Amino acid sequence: MSEVTAAPPRPSLWVRYTSSSPIVVTVFALVLGLVVGALIIITTTPAVLDAWRAIFHGWDGVPHALNVTFNNVGAAYRSMFTGSIVDPQGFWHSLVTGKGWTNTLTPISETFTYATPLVIVSIGVGIAFQTGLFNIGANGQAVIGGISGTVVGSMLHMPTILHLPLTLLAGIAGGMICGAVPGVLKAYTGAHEVIVTLMFNYVAYAFLLFMVLSTPFQQPGQQNDISRTMDPSAQLAPLFGSSSGLRVSFGVFVAALVVAFAWWLLNRSSLGFDFRVTGANPSAARASGINARSVIVVAFLISGGLAGLAGVVQVASTTHYIDGGFLIGNAGIGFTAITVALLGRNKPMGIVWAALLFAALGVGGRNMQAATGIPLDLATVIQSVIVLFVATPVLVKEIFRLRGVSTASVQLATTGWGS
Amino acid sequence: MGRIRRLTTVLGAGTLVLGTLTVSVAATTMSASAASKFKACVVTDTGGINDKSFNASAYAGLKDAAKKDSNISYTYLSSTSSADYAPNINSFISKNCGIIVTVGFLMDQATAKAANAHPSQKFAIVDDAPKVKKGTHVSSLQYETDQAGFLGGILAAGMSTTSTVATYGGQPFPSVTLYMNGFVAGVRYYDKTYSKSVKVLGWTPAKGACTLAVCNGKGTFVGNFTDQTAGKTDTTTFFSEGADIVFPVAGSVGLGSIAAAKLAGAGHSVMWVDSNGCVADKADCKWFVGTVAKGVEPSVEAAVLSAAKGTFAAGTYVGTLKNSGTALEYGGITVPSALKSKIATAKAGIIAGTISVNPNKYPAK
Repeated sequence: MSEVTAAPPRPSLWVRYTSSSPIVVTVFALVLGLVVGALIIITTTPAVLDAWRAIFHGWDGVPHALNVTFNNVGAAYRSMFTGSIVDPQGFWHSLVTGKGWTNTLTPISETFTYATPLVIVSIGVGIAFQTGLFNIGANGQAVIGGISGTVVGSMLHMPTILHLPLTLLAGIAGGMICGAVPGVLKAYTGAHEVIVTLMFNYVAYAFLLFMVLSTPFQQPGQQNDISRTMDPSAQLAPLFGSSSGLRVSFGVFVAALVVAFAWWLLNRSSLGFDFRVTGANPSAARASGINARSVIVVAFLISGGLAGLAGVVQVASTTHYIDGGFLIGNAGIGFTAITVALLGRNKPMGIVWAALLFAALGVGGRNMQAATGIPLDLATVIQSVIVLFVATPVLVKEIFRLRGVSTASVQLATTGWGS
Repeated sequence: MGRIRRLTTVLGAGTLVLGTLTVSVAATTMSASAASKFKACVVTDTGGINDKSFNASAYAGLKDAAKKDSNISYTYLSSTSSADYAPNINSFISKNCGIIVTVGFLMDQATAKAANAHPSQKFAIVDDAPKVKKGTHVSSLQYETDQAGFLGGILAAGMSTTSTVATYGGQPFPSVTLYMNGFVAGVRYYDKTYSKSVKVLGWTPAKGACTLAVCNGKGTFVGNFTDQTAGKTDTTTFFSEGADIVFPVAGSVGLGSIAAAKLAGAGHSVMWVDSNGCVADKADCKWFVGTVAKGVEPSVEAAVLSAAKGTFAAGTYVGTLKNSGTALEYGGITVPSALKSKIATAKAGIIAGTISVNPNKYPAK
């Protein structure tokens, strides 16, 4: 411990991690989210409430009630864990007997399947945030990307080596076009990007309905709101083969490429430097000769393009067709992306972890509902509480008595609104 | 030293919470296996179990079955998007569900794929008939709602004092337009048989007959199943065009029609759809002339009960007037017995096959 006091310029790793570094705040926010979730389970599960009502009915009333409480909360979180990461018993069974690997690997495969498009779209949103721009329209851009990708994937026919890249590029192009409009409007007329991107979501939804109900794109022989199915040559194939029963696809490599690209863009390229300077201080950026207009337009092109890519990856790796409910409502990954980007502090690797966490909570929540009957919405509550606490690091610091809040954990939001 | 103290506090707090969780996790391993009941499981569409429409009806069917057979337990999983269908179904397969009920044509592909991969697993799918391999156990529950819609058309035509009735839909899906088509056929049949001239607004059938999968034509559609304001606007327009009875086939959008009828005052009424309006919406019972009902709940219940008993039959179940899979129910407005007997005659004719529900058999005047 003596080196702690003997090294004034740089505190030791341990101390840094117990100070309120962003990671520590996030981990404690997760703990708080689970605690709040547990309270909700306790107050809404009839069996638990009955046990507490009966505490005066016998000498063992209180321990019995505690036991029931722990049983229910434990069962919920256990099923959440085993449904999204791995079931230790099943894993051991597979390891010993060599059988049942599909069941053992399904949870983690599902988590990655859900995280893949989420990572891509969240990085798009994060890049816009870094530039000081709020892209609230990522969901609409993803919808347009999904549509254009599915059009190319289902209505053109060619070998995989051409078809898959072309499908993905079509998705990027669709998202870029949808993202460029608010960017250009912002850069040249000053129209606020929050309003324009938000409203563009509705344009995208209406266009989606039009497309899936119109003759060339609607599935032949169908009158319902469902599109044609992508050719196998345009699909992102399952990573372990279609006979494996695992849905995790080659999309994870697309996501990995996007992460690498974003890291290079933000940390190694001069364009990324312009982005960050504009985001940190638009006036200083202008004064130092950065072309604000082109930065805004290019940032929106990249952000929209990545959202569009996420849309097409979602289609190409899971359903292979789109329907009238594509990415609408709770499935709107473009909106989830805003919170994921905040949680990941707009940094590529941070976003990867945040997206994996959100995906695991969602996938685990499904297993929890199937196993215990506690509604899937609990996962959404936990996600929300985590974001709430991450956005208020001072609160987390007070609750857990952490030392001073570092600037990194406060610097969450961007200066986009009103700038 | 201060740092160390804080370090201990933090670690202590963290360990305490995590420890609590671990203990609770450990405690559950013992109580995990309950008595082996027959599990009935439903995967709902994005509407969820509280959509007051077919997802809710399917879930209610499971509950009804559990009431009749105490050995049945039931559970559900809701889907947030079409990407959830496959994992939701697979999740239930791994939970050893005795029967998995899926809802709606959007789950067609996911259900077919799961059924082909697990031939011994029993499925029931509402409002759809997926193509599956032989040896699979899939029961397709479909409903010829144009038969009951036909009776609804007669009822509306007979009750209208302005000789104009109207219908509109949520979106032009066959499951929606089939109702509207039958409704129009009923009105035209009434005109032809009893030499009246009641007009129908909101749906013009295309040439040829409708099937469960395809039912074409042109008509008024709100564009979704949620926008009650649009339903109110459309209904008010119909009223201003002279209609006095409106038949919305658009789920909760129909509540907008009730609002419009209240606004227009006495003499205006609504024909409800899917499940009896006077049960689903008791407070507004006096505005309902009747309900064109679809028997999702009883048919799901029957499928679950038969699966639990071991008498499950794969194949297509088609709900008709004959097997009460679809029916006309009267509402809070008194219907003259003469009209009721006309409807009874038509019902008998449809069941016997002597009366067609194809509107093109009764050309519009």
